Amino acid sequence: MASRLYQWIDQRLKLKPLEQTLLNEPIPGGASWNYVFGSATLFLFCLQALTGMFLMLYYVPATDHAYDTVQYIQQEVWGGWFVRGLHHWGASAVMVAIGLHMLQVFFDGAYKRPREMMWIVGVGLLALMLGFGFTGYLLPWDQNAYWATQVGINMVGAVPFVGDLIVRVLRGGETLGALTLSRFFAIHVAFLPAIIVFGIMLHIFILRRVGPAGPHDEHRAKQGSETFYPRQVYMDAVVMSGAFLLVAALAIMVEFPLADKADPSDHSFVPVPEWYFLFHYQLLKYAPGALGSLATWLLPTLFFTGLLLLPFLDRNTERRPSSRPVMLGVGLGFLVIVFTLLGISLQHLYAIPKQDPSLARGIALVEQFKCQTCHRIHGDGANIAPDLSYVADRRPDRNWHLQHFKDPPSVSPGSFMPKFPLNDQQRNDLTNYMLTLKSG
Amino acid sequence: MEEGLSTPVGNRRSFFVKTTLFLSSLIGISLAIPLLGYVISPALGRRNQDWVSLGKADQLPVDEPQALDYTRTEKDGWQKSQVTKGTWAVKRPDGQITVFSPICPHLGCGYRWNQKDRLFKCPCHGSIYDIEGSVKAGPAPRPLDTLPSKVENGELYVMYQEFKSGLSKKVEL
Repeated sequence: MASRLYQWIDQRLKLKPLEQTLLNEPIPGGASWNYVFGSATLFLFCLQALTGMFLMLYYVPATDHAYDTVQYIQQEVWGGWFVRGLHHWGASAVMVAIGLHMLQVFFDGAYKRPREMMWIVGVGLLALMLGFGFTGYLLPWDQNAYWATQVGINMVGAVPFVGDLIVRVLRGGETLGALTLSRFFAIHVAFLPAIIVFGIMLHIFILRRVGPAGPHDEHRAKQGSETFYPRQVYMDAVVMSGAFLLVAALAIMVEFPLADKADPSDHSFVPVPEWYFLFHYQLLKYAPGALGSLATWLLPTLFFTGLLLLPFLDRNTERRPSSRPVMLGVGLGFLVIVFTLLGISLQHLYAIPKQDPSLARGIALVEQFKCQTCHRIHGDGANIAPDLSYVADRRPDRNWHLQHFKDPPSVSPGSFMPKFPLNDQQRNDLTNYMLTLKSG
Repeated sequence: MEEGLSTPVGNRRSFFVKTTLFLSSLIGISLAIPLLGYVISPALGRRNQDWVSLGKADQLPVDEPQALDYTRTEKDGWQKSQVTKGTWAVKRPDGQITVFSPICPHLGCGYRWNQKDRLFKCPCHGSIYDIEGSVKAGPAPRPLDTLPSKVENGELYVMYQEFKSGLSKKVEL
């Protein structure tokens, strides 16, 4: 049935030559698992486009509704948490795929003549994908989204002369707010997709005009070529399925709950950028004062300029890795720095302090006595009494807390905090918890 | 086929082709099911209906229809809003309370109680009902729609519903 339909269409549209071009593309040296990364990237990008379109069914890009609509997708729409999970983890997966794709091209020297243009367009695609990541992060309008974007935009402000202007244009005004959200949304779902589709087409067009690089090993290259279909397609399909299963498993198993709704007045919140920006975030901690502004914008600019010019900076025509020790050394050095910074950063972020039982009891008491009716702790609770997020920075003294819980006004004159009916152990547990609330 | 260009044949070829087809259908199906459910689930959801209080039942005067309003939070997808709805409550001499939907069953206008004639009159197309809700005159196809109501601990509760207009039978929306 399907083949008869195809014949009917083919008789009219003459698809056979097109089919030949698409499927019988010669792969020099034969199909290989080395060549799957580009297809995997394209597949994951399409997955992002698909899940993104579906998220738009319910999402509203306005500051008073964005958070509620994402909450609605996450909690009420059937399968909504899964679609959002796919989009969230897919974003990370596509970054990993791009990284692997670039590493393979770099290692195989496939960016060299005559494929310089393909590399340059590819670097452009990387920048666009980072743009997707950055603009998409703001859209849920939770605390993390708001404050991470605040930091990200301010980093652009370090650029000399035009920094302020760019920051204003990005925010759509003086402060991050309604106009920022709607322009980030428009960039994320309309402008970037429109540009990247052309970029991807150009990337693939150049590939088809120049042809795949094939193996750097001349012996293997001489073995002749193999058609793209069916063996390379099969390898691509296996890797795509693997990538899909991985993203789906992460979406199912690792929850990605929203933080609290964005609260511009809450300065106690510590935002965390996406992991693919983390190494740069960590780097900024080591660059004090005047060096800081250079690290915020000069290093990324140098990095992208270096990437774009790589085919021209690297004059060595040799593709075999063993003949390119300097280039591989530079690449390896870059990877070591990036992963070390990422590792340190992750260690800081996810260092889970061992919790002693007294601490757990202290936390339970805060629940039980509803301390957050008046106090706020890391964004949770009302802002009536002092914020306790970093109370131990201000009050490191154990005896002060013990006395304070016994009789608040005795150490904090004029305090309207009630005397709660606490016994000695409960006062001790609460104090232990209070002393952990510090920034260092 | 070009010089030096090879391609798998026979069993090997069909293995690659079939595996590719199988894997792509696997991805397609595992995406299609959640995405389809994601699109249609809100369409199938019913509005949640609860009993809402209209006030003390014993404060209703006998044989004097009262327009009773109530305000409740309604969910429209992700949007929550305060909605005010009206009803007509009638207490008969035997103590039985009937609560009518405030919408004329003819074409959906709001009708009123005419104290002088002791009739419910719809200003749009002239439908007229008596205190029991039966049609006395005009184009109305059916009596006034009654709403489910109950009295608990002296409070009058009602469950708000809307019905299709223009039909001779009462069909819930």
